[in-house]
Formats: sequence, structure tokens, C-alpha cells
Amino acid sequence: MWAVEYLAPEHLGEVLEVLAGADPTETVVWAGGTALAPLLRRGLLEPRRLLGLERVGELAGLSVEDDGSLRIGAVVRLRELYGAELVRGRLPVLAWTARRIGNLRVQNMATVGGHLAHADPAQDLPPVLLALDAEVRLQSRRGTRALPLEEFLLGPMQTARAEDELLTEVRVPPRAFRWRTGYVRYAPRSAEDYPTVGVAASVEVDADGVCREARVAVAGAGPKALRVRAAEQVLVGGPLSADRCREAARRVEGEVDPWDDTRGSAAYKRAMARVWTERLLRQLAAAGS
Amino acid sequence: MSEASVELWVNGERVRAPVWGTEFLAEFLRERLGLVGTKVGCGVGVCGLCTVWMDGKLVSSCLVPAVVAAGRHVWTVEGLVALAEGRVADPPPGLPSGRLVRAVQQALVECEGLQCGICTPGQLWAACALLQEEPNPPEDQVREFLAGNLCRCTGYQGILRAVRAAAREGRCVGG
Repeated sequence: MWAVEYLAPEHLGEVLEVLAGADPTETVVWAGGTALAPLLRRGLLEPRRLLGLERVGELAGLSVEDDGSLRIGAVVRLRELYGAELVRGRLPVLAWTARRIGNLRVQNMATVGGHLAHADPAQDLPPVLLALDAEVRLQSRRGTRALPLEEFLLGPMQTARAEDELLTEVRVPPRAFRWRTGYVRYAPRSAEDYPTVGVAASVEVDADGVCREARVAVAGAGPKALRVRAAEQVLVGGPLSADRCREAARRVEGEVDPWDDTRGSAAYKRAMARVWTERLLRQLAAAGS
Repeated sequence: MSEASVELWVNGERVRAPVWGTEFLAEFLRERLGLVGTKVGCGVGVCGLCTVWMDGKLVSSCLVPAVVAAGRHVWTVEGLVALAEGRVADPPPGLPSGRLVRAVQQALVECEGLQCGICTPGQLWAACALLQEEPNPPEDQVREFLAGNLCRCTGYQGILRAVRAAAREGRCVGG
């Protein structure tokens, strides 16, 4: 008889020590388990050892840092994220989104760090965090580095995390707290499903009605959550008119690169990415008038 | 590799049983301990059949490796029924009261909130967790808590009526 081993160290240093010498096919980082458990159950992963993070204090909790940024510890559960006053007050869009992922049990288990490290292109938080200019911190025994989320996400289930690194926290910069940010998710089968497409956008509009900052990001319509700069460029420098919103949405349709799957055909997803981008931008424009 | 057995607390009792490979808590409860009230449905955390209470929170036991549950306090639907029947001497904090469980059970029966029964343990847990947190929940919160508990007999209206009725601790009314 053998059983997979569960390590649950209390300190980050111990986690990094294990990771430094580990064979990634044998040792798997275990946070909430909601994404990895189905892979284990199907035999797609056959680890010998699970490296649990739940007892590591350095990875827990939410805080506002000296530079004003919001720090979200890697093992903050989705339910903790949307329940936190720090999040509801500053970034209601993040709370709104986390509350619509999966179901209550999944929200009790799944962590923010695990969600991002899993890097499924149809997940909900990546586009929202891209629209908030979030960065992730990666730590190993070699040191710590910060990466914009956009550079962390590389492709389907692929990230910039090296084998000995751990995603320790997510940071949202204070400039994002000023932005008007929204997220729309389109899930035609069931509300708990991953979205067919999800669109997040942020805008900052000055007193004259001129859009000064814009972010547009899409999930479910390509190999990773995608920030669409071509759409942002259309929005910045003028009013959020119906024409500009429509043109930005057309740019999204041109940039996304979806594939056919059970959530929709590639052509359908491309069209829906345009439709939902335009709707979201019109909503954000109306919210300021 | 570790020693191939796990010790934890289930329904207030300390248990130790062998585990094999990456065996999950749902299978451990059913096959090692014979607690078959917990079902295995989708195996991916979507359907709610394997809902258990672990250290104060509802989780999908199909997503928890048995070794991860070692040392924890787990309650299954069998324990929930024991609470309802007053057979638990000293329940840990955070569990629903026996009175609440009885109210939900009775409402499920009176409002025809179950048919084949396979989703009932999960619905019972979800309803109890909701009413513990919010004794008089608005409709959208009722739906939020029950979401992710898939009824195979399409009996959602009866289940929703039951939860509303249990919230009032009254009789089943309305359509």
C-alpha cells in the first residue's frame, strides 16, 4: 500500500526549500485543490506528494501596502476575497466576479493564487485583474520577482512560473481604484459554468468627458486571457461615444483567437466577444453620465 | 510516500482507516467507513452530491484527497441527521443546530422538495448553511446557496419552497 504524501509546512521558507529540490511530476503544489483534484481523479496527474499551502501564514490575508496597492495573498479563498471589506470598498468588480465563480463549496476552497496559476483561458478573474493592471509576485530560493499578470499568463495551463517558484501574492495598484471597471460573463448553459466569453474593461474619464485610461481584456476567446490594446487605443483621447465603443468592440473581434469547444464555436465566440465588449463599454460610458 | 492510513474525526468520532494512492475523501467516507449518504456524482465539484462539512465550511469531498483531510473534523449527512435526532452530545461550534436541521428536513418533506433523494444530502447542507448565516434570506441569496446542487428529478421549485418554508419555520405555502 502507498498513499500520496501531504506536506503542510507553516513557513514559506520550507515551501520554497521543498520546491527547490522537487521533481514537478512528483511534487504538486496544493492550495484549494478545485482545479487539480479533477486532474488527479482522471489520472492526468499522478503526484507522489502534495505540497499544501494552507498553513503558510505569509501567503494568507489581504492588506493595503505602503504604496497604496491592495495585496491579495495567494491562499485567499474566493469567498474570503468577495467577503473582504477591503475588496468590496475599493474593487467591487473583483468581489462581484469572485462571487460568480463555481458554487459556494468551490468558493470555500479555491484560492486566488491557484486560480491564476492554473491558467485556464476561460477563467473569470484573469480578465478582471488584467483590466486592473494587477501584477503577481513569484518567489523562490533564488529571489523574488514581480510580473504584470499579462506576462505571467503564457497560454493554456501555461505560466511564467519557474518550477522552483511559488506565486505568493497578487497586487492591484491604487490607480486602478479610481477607474470605472466592469465585467460581463456570458455562460449560456448554466450560471456556474466557465463563461463562453468574459469581457472586463476599465476606463478613466476626466471632467470634460474625455477617456484618459482604458483597459479591455477578454477570457474564453483565445489561448489565454487577452488584453486588447487595439481596442484601448480607440477609446483613449476622446469621449466614450457609441461609435467609439462599437469600434473598440470590432477591434476585440479582430484580435481574439478562440477555438471550437462545448461552450461555442470559434465564430460564435468571436461574435460574442464583440457583442459583450460593446455592451460593457456602453454600460461604463452610461455609468458616468 | 507516507504511511498508508489516515486518521481524522468524522461525525465527532475519531477514525483511522487505510488509504490508497490519491484516494479522495468522498470515496474514503463511503468505502472505508460505510457512510454512503455522501454520494459521488460529477467528481469535479459541480453537482453537490458529495457535500460535507469540514472544519466549519462546506466543501466538495470529491475534491479533497483523503490525506489532506487528516486530523480534521468532518461531518457527513449521517452526522447531520444525528444532530437532528438529538444524538450528538457535544456538537462542535459552527454546525447547524438540530432544531434547524429538523426544520429543513420537515420542510423538504412537506413541500415535496425531494423525489429520488440523491441530491438531498447536499441540498440539506446548503439550506442549513444558508439559514445559519441568514435566518431570513432574500430570494437571490437562497438561489446563490443552492446553486451547484443539481437535482436530477428537476424538482427545484419544491426545494426552493422548502427552504423558504424552513426560513419561516412555518408550513409550506405558495406555488
